Amino acid sequence: MSALTADVVVIGAGVLGGAAAFHLARGGHRVIVLDRGAPGREGSGTTAGNLHVQAVHTRRPGQEVPLDSARFLPLQRAASDRWNSVEAELETSVELRRSGGFTIAETPEQRAELIAKHAWEDRAGIRTEVLDGDGARAALPLLGPTVTAATWCPLDGYANPLLTTPAYLAAAVRHGARLHPFCPVRAVERSGSGWRVTAGDLTVEAPHVVDVAGPWLGEIAALAGIGLRMTPVAIQMHVTVRLPETLRHLVQHIGEGLSVKQVTAGNLLIGGGWPALRLEPDGRSPVSLSSVLGNVAQAARVLPFVRDLRLLRTWAGPLAATPDEMPVIGEVPGAPGFLVAGGTYAFTFAPLWGETLRCLVEGKPTPVDIRDLGPDRLLEPAAPAAPYEEAR
Amino acid sequence: MTTTACDVLIVGGGPAGLSAAARLAAAGLAVTLVDEQPELGGQYYRSPSPAVLREHGDHRPEGGRLVARVRSLGVDCRTGHLVWGVDDDGRTLLGTGPDGSPVRLRGRHVIVATGAYERTHPFPGWQLPSVTTPGFAQHLAAADGTSPGRRVLVAGSGPFLLPVACSLLAAGADVVGVAEAGHPYRPSLRAATALRHPARLRELAGYAARLARARVPLWQGRVVSRASGADRVSSATLAATADPGRPLRTVDVDALCVGYGFRPQTDLARLLGCEIRADAVTGDAEPVTDAFGRTSRPGVYVAGEAAGVGGVHRALVRGATAAAHILLREGSPAAPGPREIARLAARGRALTRFTALSDALYPSQAELRKALAATLDDDTIVCRCEAVTAAAVRSAAAERAGGDLNAAKSWSRAGMGPCQGRFCGFAVAGLVRDAAGDAADGAARCGVPVFPARQPIRPVPVETLLALGEQDGGDG
Ligand SMILES: Cc1cc2nc3c(=O)[nH]c(=O)nc-3n(C[C@H](O)[C@H](O)[C@H](O)COP(=O)(O)OP(=O)(O)OC[C@H]3O[C@@H](n4cnc5c(N)ncnc54)[C@H](O)[C@@H]3O)c2cc1C
Ligand SMILES: Cc1cc2nc3c(=O)[nH]c(=O)nc-3n(C[C@H](O)[C@H](O)[C@H](O)COP(=O)(O)OP(=O)(O)OC[C@H]3O[C@@H](n4cnc5c(N)ncnc54)[C@H](O)[C@@H]3O)c2cc1C
Repeated sequence: MSALTADVVVIGAGVLGGAAAFHLARGGHRVIVLDRGAPGREGSGTTAGNLHVQAVHTRRPGQEVPLDSARFLPLQRAASDRWNSVEAELETSVELRRSGGFTIAETPEQRAELIAKHAWEDRAGIRTEVLDGDGARAALPLLGPTVTAATWCPLDGYANPLLTTPAYLAAAVRHGARLHPFCPVRAVERSGSGWRVTAGDLTVEAPHVVDVAGPWLGEIAALAGIGLRMTPVAIQMHVTVRLPETLRHLVQHIGEGLSVKQVTAGNLLIGGGWPALRLEPDGRSPVSLSSVLGNVAQAARVLPFVRDLRLLRTWAGPLAATPDEMPVIGEVPGAPGFLVAGGTYAFTFAPLWGETLRCLVEGKPTPVDIRDLGPDRLLEPAAPAAPYEEAR
Repeated sequence: MTTTACDVLIVGGGPAGLSAAARLAAAGLAVTLVDEQPELGGQYYRSPSPAVLREHGDHRPEGGRLVARVRSLGVDCRTGHLVWGVDDDGRTLLGTGPDGSPVRLRGRHVIVATGAYERTHPFPGWQLPSVTTPGFAQHLAAADGTSPGRRVLVAGSGPFLLPVACSLLAAGADVVGVAEAGHPYRPSLRAATALRHPARLRELAGYAARLARARVPLWQGRVVSRASGADRVSSATLAATADPGRPLRTVDVDALCVGYGFRPQTDLARLLGCEIRADAVTGDAEPVTDAFGRTSRPGVYVAGEAAGVGGVHRALVRGATAAAHILLREGSPAAPGPREIARLAARGRALTRFTALSDALYPSQAELRKALAATLDDDTIVCRCEAVTAAAVRSAAAERAGGDLNAAKSWSRAGMGPCQGRFCGFAVAGLVRDAAGDAADGAARCGVPVFPARQPIRPVPVETLLALGEQDGGDG
């Protein structure tokens, strides 16, 4: 049994773990990253990879509450700006593309929502343009006849998730971070004024723990005796065979979960948060046929050319959601040095949250105001049987 | 409602599916048999085109008789139907008819008899036009009476290479040689002919004689280590199996057929949630089945080569055995008595022993794969769909994926193209295992050597999905 010391232990090697490790290691901290499996395989390996800059569709199918768009948009604006330097920082391409996106409306209510959303975006400094149905079709002739209005945002984009997390982790390692895959965290306990983390056959002592375990964020917190209300779900993606370059932009729906784009390899990726059959916390979550049919039908309605394609494959990925659908980031009250980050749209937010976590470790002001995004709002009594009890 | 419900749903109209269908329908059960091909028969009983039939006749008339029997027994035969998925109940199969219309298929019992894939190993140049698999060449020869080229080299391993070479000869090709990775044909073949099941070995000897008459050289202990050519293959380099890195001779060709036998096609069984395991001898992923072909999922059987490669006779017996068990479960008056059960079981065991014996004549697939992979240049394309090199797979596996096959796939894109890993999967899994062998307990993480099965099994038209969704809407 080897005992290591570090400045920060990052639990979870997804895109948030990668970004946190990169910013911390580059800032001169000794960082150890632990993952129970192969890095970048869970939410970050299954994500759609959209950079959401204009307001996101507020209701994923099955989602209980809409997120607070007015509050969310300034964060999106900051996250968007932060992406501009990612490829230079990581010294590699992640197929980052900012070719803009449309959010479409079909019904009168959706149209009204689109106009309200445009006003919030204006306030947040995100430039969007409202088009009527014909204007939208003139701008994007691929749009179908049911589209009655759309907003256009030139900042919407995409980065290849299968490149992004690996690039963050590789850059973190270049800056001295140590990555331990296949090293499941089993215990997190206080040790002096810091923490002792036991994972695989490693023990690491560090003043700071960053819990970025995605859907398992709550489980890791529970090991440390912290109860957090999280609602992990699994959602699915649908991808067609390759086609010649056809759709340059991201297309989303204001009232229903839908996102469509063409990736660099040529495949069309269709998503929007449709639920998988169930969340399989220990493995691959199975896809639901009814979600396949629902999501593909929407896509074919909004973009009729989709009708002529063939579906190549489908998959489901796990997602760490919070009950209020807002991100969670910050230090856990009463657990000094224990930081968490996760929740909604963590791919878009990864560069921003990576830097924010470094600022939190260093006790410096954060790039955006996160006071209302802290874990305090999710606190609940910890499950009494957590293994830490005996360790104390 | 467009769900077809029946007593027994059989996917795959090859020898295994046909023999099961005949037994079940003769006992009066309602059987639906689905096959994506336009005609029943599967690989072995694939029917030749009318022109070839007129000229050469049917070389396997027993196949035509079996198909006719199945049809006359009233089996609902759905040819041209691709099964591509499983519905949310985990049980109803989803298919597409020849006109693209969707179908839901439901049987109280399901027999998966989807056959096998050809086994390929990547080598430099295998992506060149006119490099094919023996199965494809055989298909061309048997169905259309043509050959993939004029000067053809047949290479790889297994008994299948000889009939393919003979078919190519019959189709008028100049077979410049047959290269077999092992040493199965002398003198052990003659010795083995004396075994209890000589028919198949005698058949092989017949093919060998035919090739000898046509003066086709049969090289043993040789593998193709490289194919070269500009816009199509023009030459093939042979090396000793024991030392594939060192070229021995170059043969001028305009077509090259390389294949190392077959491996079970288990996608559907896996989508249905049947437990699978790695076979120690072949290195393949196989469904876990008992003597009757029962899987870990109640009511789901796997029969024929989908359960493990073993040739046509074993496929026929496996199909009949699964059918017998279903009749027992149904309490059918036509259910087999203990004597028939014992006879089927004995025949199954004998064929299994025979398969093991004749397999022993050829090099072990697991060892062959390892030998060939070890000399694979880093810049050899391993996944042809996505143009992923051996180096990319190796470095993903060793450095970041830590031996996890799925992680290696997502870090390298190997297996993500249109064929979804059907061609490269076996080789990629092997490369990952080899590369991870160096990392601490990496090899243990590889688990079952196959990419996870995902819907759809083959690409499905969006139109089909839309039509399926409309049906659901219509049903409320
Ligand atoms: C299908 C899908 C589509 C999405 N689309 C988008 C999108 O378009 N845009 C967007 O911004 N967001 C999107 N998201 C959300 C976003 O991609 C994910 O939330 C994000 O990638 C999550 O990153 P993460 O690092 O927080 O978690 P993950 O990537 O899930 O990583 C968590 C890691 O923690 C590890 N872990 C768990 N338990 C332990 C333990 N005990 N010990 C050690 N390690 C452990 C896991 O193995 C895993 O690697 C999508 C999500 C999904 C699933
Ligand atoms: C060209 C060739 C020559 C051979 N020669 C010999 C020989 O000389 N001697 C010998 O013993 N063996 C030979 N074999 C092997 C022999 O063909 C097999 O052992 C036998 O066919 C296996 O029978 P099966 O029923 O398991 O599978 P198959 O005959 O392969 O039948 C499987 C059927 O399932 C169908 N199917 C698969 N997936 C789906 C799906 N998702 N939806 C719908 N339908 C599907 C396929 O279309 C196919 O018709 C040869 C094989 C090939 C390919």
